[in-house]
Amino acid sequence: MAAFDVKMASLMKILSPRFAFLLALALPTAAAAQRGGDAVYIEDRLNQLQQTLTMMTGQIEQLQHRNASLQQQMEKMQADYEYRIDQLEKGGGGKPGGAGPRPGGLAAAPAGPASPTPAPTPGGAAPGGAAGEQLYDEAFKKLQEGDYAAAERGFKTFVQRNPQNKLAGNAQYWLGETYYARRDYNNALTAFAEGYKVYKTSPKGPDNLLKLGITMSNLGRKSDACAVFARFNQDYPRATDLQKRRIEQERQKNSCG
Amino acid sequence: MMLPRRTTLLGGVALAAVGTASTARAQLTIDMTRPSFEPVPIAVVDFKGDAVGAQMAGVIRNNLQNCGLFRVIPSSAYIQKDVDATSPPRFQDWRIVGAAGLVVGQVTSVGGNIKVDFRLWDVVTSQQATGLSFTSQPSNWRRLAHIISDAIYKRVTGEEGYFDTRVAYVSETGPANARVKRIAIMDQDGANNRYITDGRTIALTPRFSPTLQEIVYMAYGENNGPPRVYLQNVDSGRRELLGNFPGMSFAPRFSPDGSKVVMSIAENGRTNIYEMDVRGRQLRRLTNSPAIDTSPCFSADGSQIVFNSDRGGAQQLYIMSAGGGGERRISFGEGRYATPVWSPRGDFIAFTKISAGSFGIGVMRSDGSGERMLANGFLVEGPTWAPNGRVLMFFRQQPSSGGRAGSASLHQVDITGRFERQVPTPTDASDPAWSPLIPQ
Amino acid sequence: MSMIKALSALAAMFLIAACSNNDNQTASAASTSVTPGSVGDFRQNVGDRVFFDTDSSTVREDGRQTLNRQAEWLKKYTNYQITIEGHCDERGTREYNLALGERRANAARQYLIAQGIPAARLKTVSYGKERPDPVGSDEAAWARNRRAITALE
Repeated sequence: MAAFDVKMASLMKILSPRFAFLLALALPTAAAAQRGGDAVYIEDRLNQLQQTLTMMTGQIEQLQHRNASLQQQMEKMQADYEYRIDQLEKGGGGKPGGAGPRPGGLAAAPAGPASPTPAPTPGGAAPGGAAGEQLYDEAFKKLQEGDYAAAERGFKTFVQRNPQNKLAGNAQYWLGETYYARRDYNNALTAFAEGYKVYKTSPKGPDNLLKLGITMSNLGRKSDACAVFARFNQDYPRATDLQKRRIEQERQKNSCG
Repeated sequence: MMLPRRTTLLGGVALAAVGTASTARAQLTIDMTRPSFEPVPIAVVDFKGDAVGAQMAGVIRNNLQNCGLFRVIPSSAYIQKDVDATSPPRFQDWRIVGAAGLVVGQVTSVGGNIKVDFRLWDVVTSQQATGLSFTSQPSNWRRLAHIISDAIYKRVTGEEGYFDTRVAYVSETGPANARVKRIAIMDQDGANNRYITDGRTIALTPRFSPTLQEIVYMAYGENNGPPRVYLQNVDSGRRELLGNFPGMSFAPRFSPDGSKVVMSIAENGRTNIYEMDVRGRQLRRLTNSPAIDTSPCFSADGSQIVFNSDRGGAQQLYIMSAGGGGERRISFGEGRYATPVWSPRGDFIAFTKISAGSFGIGVMRSDGSGERMLANGFLVEGPTWAPNGRVLMFFRQQPSSGGRAGSASLHQVDITGRFERQVPTPTDASDPAWSPLIPQ
Repeated sequence: MSMIKALSALAAMFLIAACSNNDNQTASAASTSVTPGSVGDFRQNVGDRVFFDTDSSTVREDGRQTLNRQAEWLKKYTNYQITIEGHCDERGTREYNLALGERRANAARQYLIAQGIPAARLKTVSYGKERPDPVGSDEAAWARNRRAITALE
């Protein structure tokens, strides 16, 4: 969003000299017309200006649109990268339960009685199992496809049915992302806040808190955002450098003290 | 025949099931959103007990057949002739004729009123799918038939019905260069047609208030007077000028709560969108561009307005806040986009698209994504939503030839674009406006 | 009725063409049939309409010549009130065309004002695509329908 605004501002900077030039073109002509007493010329000039302005309005709209589409694509790609990095990190660290790296394998395996049941989840109460994780995979696939409504439904159902599953924190985070991607910041805020409250220690915890702060900032709640960013180092001392850098950037952007 | 403005339905209660109690969903259900499905075969037996029963069954058959989701089995094929609403039918007889659903009913006189009991049987599972009982004035029999059709539609599709509704439109008669255009209102199925304006001046673009008691439309003044927006009570015929401005005012539309009317006012070559408070008649400007901003339409929740503007060179669709401001373009496809109308469900915006010399009716999501065309032609224009947001009506005009106007007619299409059918009107017709469900 | 209209439109077209070819020899052929200063005179010998390009309200060069002649005539015969009608072809949507017609009528009006016709004499009204003349669904008919007509009363 912020990047988008910056781009628009620079676009306007490029365009404004052209508008100034057009005005300069029009004014002396208007004066000349008055001297010559021919109002038709003023009318003509104004019409030409109007047409040029209209054309430029159209061009700006097209550029804005292209810009927004690119932005969306980037966000999708970013989500994808984050996910992949996440998986790599998890794959490296010995995970209890040994369910192995997420999607890929399990998603490819047919669901049903034949598929291997993953190790019991910490809480043990969730009946989800393979079917639940398949739900997670499907929701994630929808997210990658940009079908945010379907992804939202999937993650929501997953968290409701498998609140104790080790992926529940991830699902809660991605649920927030489905709203965030659609710029539905109010729902995103609720989802990220829930994520922080319930799944603070989930692998997605740091990202979740970062996104919670950014969402608040987008809603114009700068001081709340700063308060959130301020908790980061305390809550997640072992966060990655990348995550710490992002927090620092956000703190600067929001002029946090 | 005129229907009373408000129909007194003296009680409409669910009928207890005869026979087995549990409901079952078998082939009597249909998922409209699936890419393909077979129409549900259904039999509708003439309602017993009164001559009006056969007419009611006729109206129901017509509704179900025309919506495209049902295949009505002709009466001549029925084996069991004596079926009534009080006892279960011989399901085997109905399976043989291929029915998945069976509609039966009974009409009885109660004092000065009629009581109508109807049941929808699921022939596949031999169970009652739904049943209702109504009491009302005898003159309301058509409305009762529409309400029953809605109940059947809802049971089978899971969507609200739209048969108990009206359509306002522009009736067109006379030669092309001196066409008489007046506002008419009819029931959704073409019955009870009546004229709201006298045709002395051109009247266009009628739109219903949420209560159906008023319409707003644009009409020219006497002696070439400029076009103005009028508010007219449908039953009393009383009409008021909705603001007298120096410029031309047109393209009116009610807010979902009926408290405001948005419209365009054109002056000195600029057309902007204004909002008028219906009670206080306060006028407020919502857009301020040197371009043409017109065809405003509220979102279902009343928080936003979609409109079309040529501020960027050609007509495109824009959305702004209901109070003005935050304008952003949402259409970026090839061609020009016009007449946006927000679905009552809020999920889609329907529009007219002009590209490569032909016209189309399409829908897109409110962020401009997911564009889909539903109908195309030489000239198709002016979509309007059924209250369930699943069916659209619009008009088609044929090219004129030999100095004669091309015919104009109303059509309806479901949002998958599968079923299109012409809606019968007594004259040529354009500019349809579908009403909300009639308040019961 | 429509036949007569069509014929008179044809006649007007022919005369406009003749006029724009040679502005100074306007009336020799037609003046026998109409009284100078009458509405008929205006229509036949001056030309009561100008045409526009698709989706445009810019007065073209041929339109300017017609409007120049109109201004001259209207300055001479000051007893007429003037209503400029804006019209469109059928290839647009109804509401947009109402606005486009207004824009065309307004463009013609502004031009006449620039030529010295008092603004108070000039009203505008838009008919959008509601009053086609000529009636037809081909390029030629559409070109004649994208018009502003100067009507006198």
